[in-house]
Amino acid sequence: MNVQAVKTLPDAQTVTSVNHWTDTLFSFRVSRPKSLRFRSGEFVMIGLLKDDGKPLLRAYSIASPSWDEELEFYSIKVPNGPLTSRLQKIEEGDEIILRPKPVGTLVLDALLPGKRLWMICTGTGVAPFASLLRDPETYEAYDQVILAHTCRTKAELAYGAALAKALPDDPLIGELVGDKLHYYPTTTREPSANEGRISDHIRSGEVFEKLGLPQWNAAEDRIMICGSMALNKDIMSLCEAQGLTEGANSNPAEFVVEKAFVD
Amino acid sequence: MTYAVTDNCIACKYTDCVDVCPVDCFYEGENMLVIDPIECIDCGVCEPECPADAIIADTAPDAEKWVAMNTKYAALWPVILSSKEPLPDADDHDGTPNKFETLFSEAPAVQA
Repeated sequence: MNVQAVKTLPDAQTVTSVNHWTDTLFSFRVSRPKSLRFRSGEFVMIGLLKDDGKPLLRAYSIASPSWDEELEFYSIKVPNGPLTSRLQKIEEGDEIILRPKPVGTLVLDALLPGKRLWMICTGTGVAPFASLLRDPETYEAYDQVILAHTCRTKAELAYGAALAKALPDDPLIGELVGDKLHYYPTTTREPSANEGRISDHIRSGEVFEKLGLPQWNAAEDRIMICGSMALNKDIMSLCEAQGLTEGANSNPAEFVVEKAFVD
Repeated sequence: MTYAVTDNCIACKYTDCVDVCPVDCFYEGENMLVIDPIECIDCGVCEPECPADAIIADTAPDAEKWVAMNTKYAALWPVILSSKEPLPDADDHDGTPNKFETLFSEAPAVQA
């Protein structure tokens, strides 16, 4: 007899796959509540039950696009981290808690129309962009889309690199992506084609030169930022120096920052 | 780390912040909202949403007294889960100085 597992967690969702990218990074997919609507780029609270029976939740960007039947997340494994030390052990068929209230500012709605969309991130900050990069709306709204991802090593770039590589051939949106997508990875602790922090590549003009794109200007460029506190501050000040202002859902402008994932 | 609502919310109460809070940590007084600093996850999404720029990070100058004030009233007022119409004269009161001294009401929001 096949006994259906009883859902004992509040807002429980079932893990459908797990992919360990490195010793410290993994992604996983879970079932999506039928009623859950979200805009690509938003985050939700997910977690597990603690030993005392209370939920332990953290904010996670949804890495899958809004049309996807499942939800994908990309996470770091923090040694002794209250949640990630346990979350990294989840396997297919396990349950996690997912609170169904997606929110966030890294959404197309929080930006005024523009020509180029720059997505600038460090580490797991690439997750909301993994969502937006797989959303047809992103390519309908912009002529050029740039994913600039900084990590310590090439291995840590793998999740974003695999995504960027696969997109132009994607059966669903490959045609829309076409040659609009530029991928600009940089590494800070390992030799690579682009070494150093992305902020330095912007300041020196190197990234614009290599991609054949103009310097940021408020009329054409839109910037989304998601990374460490240092990166967020750095890129925000670079935006402001070019005359770009911070947008929000209620007041769209030229750049947006996600502050939920600071380390 | 947390965010806190400051006195420019008083007599405005636009409530845009409520819809974007992932953890529903806003509490509602008669003419102001506050954040429960224990529940706030410091995501910062509400800060730019406030039309009155009334929300600050606890790292801002002067934040300490607002965090203390938010802590106090979050324990006394009911939670608010979705946005509603601003108070009738909200736009007139946006930017009025010293609202805490002149306009603040300690009363909790009237429950519908």
